[in-house]
Amino acid sequence: MQPSTVVVLDNGGGLIKAGFGGEMDPTAIIPNCLFRPLSSKKWLHPSPISTTPSSAAAAAAASDPIDLTSAAVRRPLDRGYLINPDLQRDIWAHLLSSLLFPQRPNLGGPSHSSLLLTEPLFSLPSVQRATDELVFEDLGFAALYVADSPSLAHLYEASRRPSGLASKAQCSLVVDCGFSFTHAAPVFQNFTLNYAVKRIDLGGKALTNYLKELVSYRSVNVMDETFLMDDVKERLCFVSLDVARDLKIARCAMWETWESSRFEWVYLVLTVCEMGNEGNLEKDDILRKPGKENLLRCTYVLPDGVTHTKGFVKDPDEAQRYLSLTDGDRDQTPNGNADQPQVTEKLENRKKTDLTKNEFDLTNERFLVPEMIFHPADLGMNQAGLAECIVRAVNSCHPDLHPLLYESIILTGGSTLFPRIAQRLEKELRPLVPDDYRVKITAQEDPILSVWRGGSLLASSPDFEAMCVTKAEYEELGSARCRRRFFH
Amino acid sequence: MDDDASNPLRRMSSRTRKVAPKMAAALASSDNRNQAALARLEALENDNAGIETVEINDEDEDSLDDDDQVYMQKKQSKSMKRKTRQAKALEARKAPRTFLELLHEANLESLPPHVPSYLRAAVGPPSSTSRRHFCTVCGSAASYTCVRCGVRFCSCRCQNIHNDTRCLKFVA
Repeated sequence: MQPSTVVVLDNGGGLIKAGFGGEMDPTAIIPNCLFRPLSSKKWLHPSPISTTPSSAAAAAAASDPIDLTSAAVRRPLDRGYLINPDLQRDIWAHLLSSLLFPQRPNLGGPSHSSLLLTEPLFSLPSVQRATDELVFEDLGFAALYVADSPSLAHLYEASRRPSGLASKAQCSLVVDCGFSFTHAAPVFQNFTLNYAVKRIDLGGKALTNYLKELVSYRSVNVMDETFLMDDVKERLCFVSLDVARDLKIARCAMWETWESSRFEWVYLVLTVCEMGNEGNLEKDDILRKPGKENLLRCTYVLPDGVTHTKGFVKDPDEAQRYLSLTDGDRDQTPNGNADQPQVTEKLENRKKTDLTKNEFDLTNERFLVPEMIFHPADLGMNQAGLAECIVRAVNSCHPDLHPLLYESIILTGGSTLFPRIAQRLEKELRPLVPDDYRVKITAQEDPILSVWRGGSLLASSPDFEAMCVTKAEYEELGSARCRRRFFH
Repeated sequence: MDDDASNPLRRMSSRTRKVAPKMAAALASSDNRNQAALARLEALENDNAGIETVEINDEDEDSLDDDDQVYMQKKQSKSMKRKTRQAKALEARKAPRTFLELLHEANLESLPPHVPSYLRAAVGPPSSTSRRHFCTVCGSAASYTCVRCGVRFCSCRCQNIHNDTRCLKFVA
C-alpha cells in the first residue's frame, strides 16, 4: 500500500492554512470566510493569500483583485468555534477541490488521504460532532487527527531550536494570540495542560472592530470596511512601551489641526516640561514636531475605487517614525537629528493635502488598539491582561514547572505581529514573576504559520497513522467515542 | 459607600424622599449603562456592523444541503411559489446559531468543578480593578465623565463635541 498523504488544515477563525504534511509551507492560505462585495449579489470565495508566488491561483488573484470595499462577510466560526457547518463545508470543499488537490493530481482526492485538523481548545461536544460529520461524511476523508494549536506551535519551536529549552525540557508556555481569542497554554511533553490554560476573549477581530469604532467616530465612517481596517491595523498599529508618555506625545499632534487655544498651549508646555524631567526625550524634539511632524501621527489613504482599490499608507517613513521613541531605560538614539533634513525635504509634499484623495490620520489609535490585549479592562471587559493571564496559567501548573515555563514563552498567532509586543510583554511580566526566575519570550518570525508547520511535522512523523481515527472506526463507534483518542 | 445602608447603627431619617422623575431615571441608569457596555463588547465580535442579519437568510438558500434531495426537488419544483411552512421550519433549523447559544446548550455549568471547560478557562477578573479611561473623542487620558451618559472625555472641547454628537447614543 502506498503511503497515504496527510492534508494539514489549520482552521483559524481568520485564515485557513492548508497544505500537505511534511512540507515547509502551506500550499494555500485563504481567509476563512465568504464575502459579498457591493458589486455582486452572490457570496464569493476569497482569493488565496499565498506565501509561494509560484502557485497559479495566487498569480491570478493578484492580476484581478476583487474590490472589497464595503464587502459583507460571513464567517463559519464565531469566537473561534464552528457555528455554521454548512458554510464551513462550502469553504473547505472549495479549498480542497480548487486549491489543494489540483496541485497534486496524482493523489486522488480526500478519500485517499487523512486529515490533520486543528481545533480550538475546549471545543464543545456539539461542535466536535459537527466537525466530525463534516470531515468524514461530507468531505469523505479516510482518517482524521484532531490537534490543538498550542502543542503544534510547541512542536515546531522545539524542532526549530533543538538545543533550546523548549525542546530540552519538553515544555513551554505557548501564548496564542489569534483572530478570535488569546490563549496562554502550558505545553508539557507535547500535550497541552488543559487544566492550566487561560483565555482572554480578545483577538484580532475585536481589535479591528475597535479600531473601526475609533476611526468611524473620529474621522471617516468605516464601520463596513472590515478588510480595509484589517490592513490599517496590520500596517500602522504597534505596541507602546510607555502608554502615558505616548499619549502625551500624541496629544501634541492635535495641536495644529484643532486651532490651539491658550489653555491647550499651557497644557502642552507643562506636559512637555514634565517629560523633559523624566529624561526620556528632549523638550525641543517634541515641541518642534507638532501636527504633521508628530512622531506618532500617520496618514492612511483610502481607496478611491478608480486608480487604486486598496488603501495604502501615505508615507511609509512616517509610519516608522515611532521607532525613534525608545524605552525609557535607554538613551535616545542619536539618529533623531540625522533625519531632520530628510523630514524638511518631504515637508513640502506632505503639507499639500491632496483633495482628490480621501484619507485619515491616526495618532493614539495606533497604540491604543493593541493596548487592549494588555488591559482588556480598559475596554470594559472584566478580564485580566496578557501578562496576568500568563502568570495565572503558570501558577495553575506544578511548581516545578514554573521556572521552565517562564523561560520558554512562545508567542504565536497573527495578533503577535504588532511591533514591540514581545518587549512590552517582558516589561509587564517581569514585575509579576519571582526574581530568581528568568523570563524569556520567543517571538516567531512567522507566527501565523508556526502552528501549521508544527502540524506538518507531526503529520510526517512515523506514528501519525496510528494516532488517527479512521473512517471505519468513526462509522463503527461514532463521534464521541473516537474523540477520546485525542485526549481532549 | 454601600456600607452606609447596611450599617445598623446608622440612623435613617423617616422623612420621605422626593426625587424628581428625571433624577430617578438617571439613578436607575447605571443598569442601562452596563447594558450598553455589554452590547458594545458584543458588537466587537460582530463580523458586519450589525446590518447583515436580515439579508443572510435570503442568501442562505444556495448554500443549503445538496444531499437533502427531497427538499431540493421540492424547492426546484415550486421555486416560484411561496414557501411552505415546512420549508420555513427547515430553514430555521438550518440557520446558524450563535456560539453563545451553543455554549448555553452544552450546559457546561453542570460539569464537576475539576473538569476544565470553556467557562473555566476564562482568565477571570484583573487583580487590580483600576481601569484607565480614554477620551472617547480624542483618545487621550480622560479625567471627566459625562453626567448624562457616563462616557469619558478629557477636556472642555471634547465635552462639547461629545454633547453635540454622541451623548446618550448608547444609553436610550
